[in-house]
Amino acid sequence: MAIVGLGPHGERASPPERVTLLPQDIESARSKKLRIAIVMHTLESDWSKHLVQGIVGVLGECGAIVIDVVDCHFSPEQQIDALNRLRSENPDAIISLPVDNATVADAHIAASRAGIKLILIDNAPIGMLPGKDYVSLVSADNYGLGKIAAELLSSHLPPDSTAAVLGYDADFFASNEREIAFSQWMEINRPDVTVKSTRFTAIENAGEEAVRLIDCDPEIAGIFVVWDTPCVDVLRAVSERNLELPISTVDLGAEVTGNLAEDRGVVGIAAQRPFQQGEAIARTVITSLLNRPCPDWVALPGLQVSRSNVIESYQLVWRKPAPRDILLGLEILTST
Amino acid sequence: MFVKMGSSNANQSKGKGRPRSTETAVASLVDVLNLVRTGHATTRQELERVGEYGRAIVADRLTTLKDLGLVDESATGTATGGRAPRLVQFNKDIARLAVVNLEQSAVGVGISDLSGKILAEHHEMIDITDQNMTVDRICALIKWMLSRQTISADLWGISISVPGPVLAIAENPFLSKTPDFLPNWDNSGLVETLTQKFQAPVWMRSNVETMTMGEFHGGAGVGLQSMLFIKVGQRIGAGLVNDGHLFHGSSGAVGLIGQLPVNYGDVTGTLDAMAGSGMIKAKGAAAAASDASPQLADILARAGDVNAIDVCQAAQMGDTASTEIVVQSGRLVGGVVATLANMLNPQLIVLAGSIAQSNDILLASFREAVYGASHPLVTRDLRILRSQMSSSAALLGAANIAIEALFDPTFLKDWIIRGAPTEHPGFVQSLAFLDANLPTSANEPPPPPEI
Repeated sequence: MAIVGLGPHGERASPPERVTLLPQDIESARSKKLRIAIVMHTLESDWSKHLVQGIVGVLGECGAIVIDVVDCHFSPEQQIDALNRLRSENPDAIISLPVDNATVADAHIAASRAGIKLILIDNAPIGMLPGKDYVSLVSADNYGLGKIAAELLSSHLPPDSTAAVLGYDADFFASNEREIAFSQWMEINRPDVTVKSTRFTAIENAGEEAVRLIDCDPEIAGIFVVWDTPCVDVLRAVSERNLELPISTVDLGAEVTGNLAEDRGVVGIAAQRPFQQGEAIARTVITSLLNRPCPDWVALPGLQVSRSNVIESYQLVWRKPAPRDILLGLEILTST
Repeated sequence: MFVKMGSSNANQSKGKGRPRSTETAVASLVDVLNLVRTGHATTRQELERVGEYGRAIVADRLTTLKDLGLVDESATGTATGGRAPRLVQFNKDIARLAVVNLEQSAVGVGISDLSGKILAEHHEMIDITDQNMTVDRICALIKWMLSRQTISADLWGISISVPGPVLAIAENPFLSKTPDFLPNWDNSGLVETLTQKFQAPVWMRSNVETMTMGEFHGGAGVGLQSMLFIKVGQRIGAGLVNDGHLFHGSSGAVGLIGQLPVNYGDVTGTLDAMAGSGMIKAKGAAAAASDASPQLADILARAGDVNAIDVCQAAQMGDTASTEIVVQSGRLVGGVVATLANMLNPQLIVLAGSIAQSNDILLASFREAVYGASHPLVTRDLRILRSQMSSSAALLGAANIAIEALFDPTFLKDWIIRGAPTEHPGFVQSLAFLDANLPTSANEPPPPPEI
């Protein structure tokens, strides 16, 4: 699938194959005894766990030691503290997913100015430029993910209906792109559908926001939630109201995947490939530490996942067999 | 208050700080604001010294500017013996600017404060041959961006960067009609729709000018006095900063180097045709079809088409045929730019555009051509870099162009006492004309998604 989005500064995407390590590169990296730190927005989601696994595996192959993996719990303050602390550890590189925009920019820039190679995941704070303030941004094609989610939800929306978008109330490149793309796809392909949006400030508020929106507009016939973890909260809240609304989201987390397989609300998922993204991130880090040029924006295309291809998508994304519950939900297995 | 200053007889003894009429009072108000805004004066004492105004005049003008919300004196500076002085600061958050970058195949929209800092931006692919859809999309994105702002502030202007030259109309401080920057765009209603929809003045410059301005204010050109900016895309254009200022020429048609004839082998054509993305795409497609490039042939088989970015990325990954195509482009552009460099002796040449951004081969062959064809004195301290700003340069440059226009003394004097440029008599008149002559429902974009 082609990349349809543009980077945070309008960059054209480079494919992950653009950062490839040859055997001699891996040898060179091994001789350098590199030290790398990882700063994540959260380590609780399935997406984060698989991304980190992808990073750590490739770094291990290159003899690079991961000195820390920080969970910032979506807190800008915790991220700033972590970056300032790690700066004093003087790692060769920091891989970071900035949890916000302006508030964390200075801490990232300070790490970069200290001579530490900075590779960003999914978000580039405003004012930070590739090649100057960071090496590369490695992300999914979030614009493409928003379009996939719109297309998946569209077939479940009756004519002249209303769709709700549950966005994230933070200035965050990835979720902004998904939200904009979802609305644009509907505008072009389903002009009969009215899109209404609201935003949650924390994951645990997503369900509450969804219900508030539904109360304001009972005509809502479907929901798009910008990623899977808040989607779980929305599913719970909608179910408590005994509402049956089709929902699409992003990321093949265990709970929403099970829900899709068992036909319990989720009708489609735009999936990222976190493990492969993690590998691309690690290859970008090593490439930059070998003083070779890196693309400004490396992007991985999304996968369109519906009930019909959920098993193979699960295997592709998580690199393991689908859980028994999912197989049962799809009636691939009949005996419990 | 300052409007009464013209009749006051107090403190009439010296210098520039003696307004004798409302007109001179407005002039000093404009001057004080611009001294504060540009950082030339940050305290009352500095305003008295730099502006050559008396203490009472400074106090009066600052009172007026504070009442208008344009300056703030709540912060204190560093004491140099005695009490710490109050800092006079421009309130850059009193309003916002919308900035738009329109390219042949992409659109970028951003929001900036009045210091020119970009606060939010978004870029997406678009087919600008569909003018109505493009205008609607720009409106929808501006509305979405404004809805995401945490500070509620009025919109004071929209500045657009477009993929063609915009001829200067000296008598108008803002646009009232869409100029013909590309064939038939004068009938698109872009400027008219934005003015009417957002009730704010609109400015427009070419991509090359805005990107040059952006690179100079926020990229590799910061702190320099002279810079050549070269944008390589379907068209190839140049921008020049000389002595710290963007060079406009007599009518704004600056840097159209893509029209120059060049030779490569036995073939002669314009630089646009011989080195632009059209050439790269055409030669790449031919290499794919003839199997001269297995990598491009693979892309053609899978995607059904090969574009210029595919060729540049294939070159970067070592494809021989693609490398030859990109090297041709770099050498030809470098040859023309060497002539400019020998004439102008810039401190820096910045190569930009998506073609330059996606590979290092173009930069390498461009450098080789410039260094090879230039006088040693020209290249002794010359740096040649690739832009790191992508399309953000155009947004930043567009913001700076709007700020220059808003605070130009001849425009500012007519709105400052009204508190906002949207109250400028010329703009109010222009808006009334549009409302009377254009139906407000024309080009009405769909409402942005919101509760």
